[in-house]
This record gives sequence, structure tokens and C-alpha cells, in this order.
Amino acid sequence: MAGSPGSRVSIARRLLWGHVGFVYAFMYLPVAVIALFSFNASKIVAFPLQGFTFDWYVKVLGDGRILGGLGITFLVAIPTAILATVLGAMAALALTRSTLKHPIAFAGLLFLPFLVPKVILAVAQLIVLSELGITKGITTVVLGQTLIILPFTTLIVASVLVRLDPRLEEAGADLGADSSQIFRRILFPLMKNGLTAAFFIAFVLSSSEYVVTSFISGRSQPLSILVASDFRFDLSPSLDALAVLMVVANLTIVAAGELIRYRARYNSARPAD
Amino acid sequence: MAFAADRGVRLAAPVALVLVAGCVVPLAVLFVYSFFKVDFVAIVHDPTVKNYVRVAASATYRGLIGRAILSGAIVAVISAVIAYPVAWAIAKRVYLLKSAYLTLLLIPLYTGDLVRIFAWRVVLGSEGVINSFLMWTGIVHEPIRALLFSPFATHVVLTYDYLPFMVMGLWLAFESLDDRLLEAARDLGAGEVTIFRRIVLPLTAPGLIAGAMMVFVLVVGDYLTPQLIGGSSGITVISAINDLFGTAFDWPLGSAIASSLLIILGLLVTLAALVVARSTWGRSVVSGE
Repeated sequence: MAGSPGSRVSIARRLLWGHVGFVYAFMYLPVAVIALFSFNASKIVAFPLQGFTFDWYVKVLGDGRILGGLGITFLVAIPTAILATVLGAMAALALTRSTLKHPIAFAGLLFLPFLVPKVILAVAQLIVLSELGITKGITTVVLGQTLIILPFTTLIVASVLVRLDPRLEEAGADLGADSSQIFRRILFPLMKNGLTAAFFIAFVLSSSEYVVTSFISGRSQPLSILVASDFRFDLSPSLDALAVLMVVANLTIVAAGELIRYRARYNSARPAD
Repeated sequence: MAFAADRGVRLAAPVALVLVAGCVVPLAVLFVYSFFKVDFVAIVHDPTVKNYVRVAASATYRGLIGRAILSGAIVAVISAVIAYPVAWAIAKRVYLLKSAYLTLLLIPLYTGDLVRIFAWRVVLGSEGVINSFLMWTGIVHEPIRALLFSPFATHVVLTYDYLPFMVMGLWLAFESLDDRLLEAARDLGAGEVTIFRRIVLPLTAPGLIAGAMMVFVLVVGDYLTPQLIGGSSGITVISAINDLFGTAFDWPLGSAIASSLLIILGLLVTLAALVVARSTWGRSVVSGE
């Protein structure tokens, strides 16, 4: 015997957690690297590091073109997030709180925009827009993005709904509430936090979407498109700084959404206890 | 249930309508376009199968479709191997911080495609993190240029991009794996290898297939990563479709390639969905037990 079963188990455990740690490091390595270079006092994005500076952040925040793109990003992301959240909530309610004749077909339809390659979806939408003579602009981007974000918002709202105790609604019905009262007085207050989380995630996904946006945005170009055209040109520390700002903004939004979702989970777990 | 069937239809119908108008109809129109042809700068609406003949006869397009499928399969397998122990650890060895582990895994997804690709360019470039480190330690004297703009780089970044989807699929499968089955097997004298082969692997196979299908489809459809990381190897079937809709202006041929790819992907996904649906895990997820 090479060792006791106990030591074999502890070696296996160390291997497992080593592997898990490696995977998480792999996931965060690129993010850490751009953060590092955004503070590096050199125009060239390469080692060795030259010193610490905030210049790249100052430069990005003073760039009128970037700020204009940011404005369009908001113009697109807010309506997209609202639309995707409302439709996602309707889809999640239909899937978890009603009896559909073909639930699998409906779920398949919902996830179609996730599974179809984005470029193919975008060119298909481009054909329809040109056939109908619709001008590309903010409206078309909002509709296009809503479709590809819908699967995510549906999953988030559904994950809250499946945890809600259906007995609450049954009790409401037994006490004489009709279905719109049940929705207004019981379901909606309990899923409100889930809806907020879905809105935040949808906002983040919308602001970072590139492929569909680039095909159907026309002349109103959001930040993601501007970054892409700069990035094709060269790697610069101000792009690093911009990327870090975007990541920090996105993380703040996602963290706020997650926090709200945990609270939703905690609150929805309490009545069942 | 608090909601009657008609309520379900009223909720689902507007969503279905949006999806049909925004996704199904455009894809149907794309399919119709694949039977048209281009005459100079106009699209002629005479039905023809010439585009499909061109796709089938062209070694380039066949090769691109084949390579996309091969890439999808490679990344699906690599991410399955990497994700399997991670999903197991999160499902069975983490108790209090389970949500935190899952959220941490998903956060890089929210940084956006371009930021991630940009970051990998910095990591893999000839003056990037890995090359500078290797030169500093003296392991190599010249930067390894093949680290970036190569199929290797493309596959590393594709694995990075879609690994979280694989972990999620497997994690769901591990969550519904009953530990008592493993205890029973152990009590009956089964070794760890037998338990893995006869119980754990078959019971997590649906999650494995679902995750692999997701990764596969997303890799085949990825546009930015091969283009911005792969260098001269970055021409893919997706970028070919993109070119035909842009500078090359042959929408019908582009539509025919896109339709062919969608049909192949559709067949493979349907096959995987059938395998998952036939298993007990798939049934329990659908029925919500």
C-alpha cells in the first residue's frame, strides 16, 4: 500500500480544490491584467510595468466621442432592459404558474435566439429590415437586443418563481381573490426583487452586446461599437481604462441585482418556514 | 394552480408573437433568400437551388462548416473535462457559499465579449503576460508568437468564453444526484471507479450533454473570438457569412450557407434534446420535481 486511505482522500481533496482554484484564476486572469495595465504609466501595453498613473482614466473620461457613445448605450439599454424584463416575466409566469398546452415548444421558442448564431440572426433581421424599408436606429437595436436577452431574464424571473410557495396563491384563491388580485397582491410583491435583478442583468448584457448591435444600429453607435472600432486599430492603455470602468460599472450593477435576488430568496423562504 | 389555462395563453402569446416576428420570421425569410440569386447589384427573386449546389461543391465552404463543427466539438470536450470536477465541487462540497461560487463564475460573462477578447490579447501577445513571464524566467529567449493569432489561442479563449455554461449544466445535474445512491453502492462493496462509471457518469450524462450542446452551438456561432484572436486562422464559416452580407454582397449565397449551418446545428441539437428528454433527469426538470 502506498498510503493509508485517509491520505489518499486528502490528496484527492487537494487536487480537487487546486483544480477549482485554477479554474477561477483562469476566469479572472484577463480581467486582472487589464486592470493592472490601466494604471501603468506607459503607452505600450506590455511588461515590464513603468509606474503608477491615473492619466488613462482622465483621458477616457474627457473623451467626447466616448461620452456620446455612453449616452447612446443608455438610450438603448434602458428600454431594452424594461422590455426584456416585462416579456421575461410574462414568459416565466406562463411556464411556472399556468398550464400551457406545449410548454416544451414554448421554451424552445424562447431559447431559439440564444442558440441561433448571432451573426445569422442579425443578417436575417437585416434582410427583413431592408425588405420592409425600415431605417436602422435605436428602435431596431432595442428590439434585436431584447430578443437575445429574453432567455436570460426569463431564467432569472423563473428561478425566483419556482422558489415561491404556491400555497400562498392557493390561500389567496381560497379566500376569494381573483387571479388579477392574486397577481397584484401576492405574486408581484414577491417577485419584485427578481424583476429588479432581471432588469439589471438585462441592462448589463445590452450595454456589452456587440454582434447584433453592429448589424442593425445604423448611425447611432453605442459604446460597445466605438470600443470595437478603436480596438481593431490598436491596444492602448486608455482602452484598458475604459474596459475597467465598464467592468466595474457592470459588476456594481450585477452585484446590486444579485444582492436584491438573495433578499428575494430569503424573504420568499421565510413564509414557508 | 392559481392561473387557469387561458391565463397561460394570454401570458405566453405576446412573448411568442415577439419571438416569431423577431426571430422565426427573419430566419424563414433568410431561408427563402437562399433560393434567390444576385444579378450585378440587384437580388433576383427567381427560385433556384444554385446556391446550395455552390455550397456543396465548394471545398472551401464545406471545409469551413466542417472546421466550425470540429472546433465546437473540441471546445465542448475540453470544457466538459475542466468543468466536471468544478461542478461536482460546487454541488457536493460547498454548502454555505454555493450561490457566491456560482455568481463568481458568471461575473466574467458580464464583462462583455470585446473586453474579454481585448484582455486575452494582452495576456497572450508577444509582449504579453505569458511571454514576458517566460522571458523573465529565462525559459525562452524569444517570445512565443504562436501564443496569439493561432488556432491554439482561439480555442483557449473560446473555452474561457463558454466554460461557465458547461459548469452550470453539470451543476444542475449534480444537484439532482442523490448521494444515498452512492452510499448504497459503497455499502454493497463497489469501488470508487465502479461508482463513477456505473452511477455518477450515467446520472450526470444529461447535464453533460445539455452543457456540451450549449457550448458546441455557441462556439460554432462565435464571430468575434476567431476573428480577433485567431489572426490568419480566424476565417470561419460565420465570418464568411458576414462577408457575403457585407463587402462581397451575395445575400442569397450567404443565406444558403447560413441555412445549411442552421439545419446541421438544428439536427444535432434535436438529437441531444431527445437523449436528454428520454432520461429521468430531463423528465424531472421538465415536470419541475
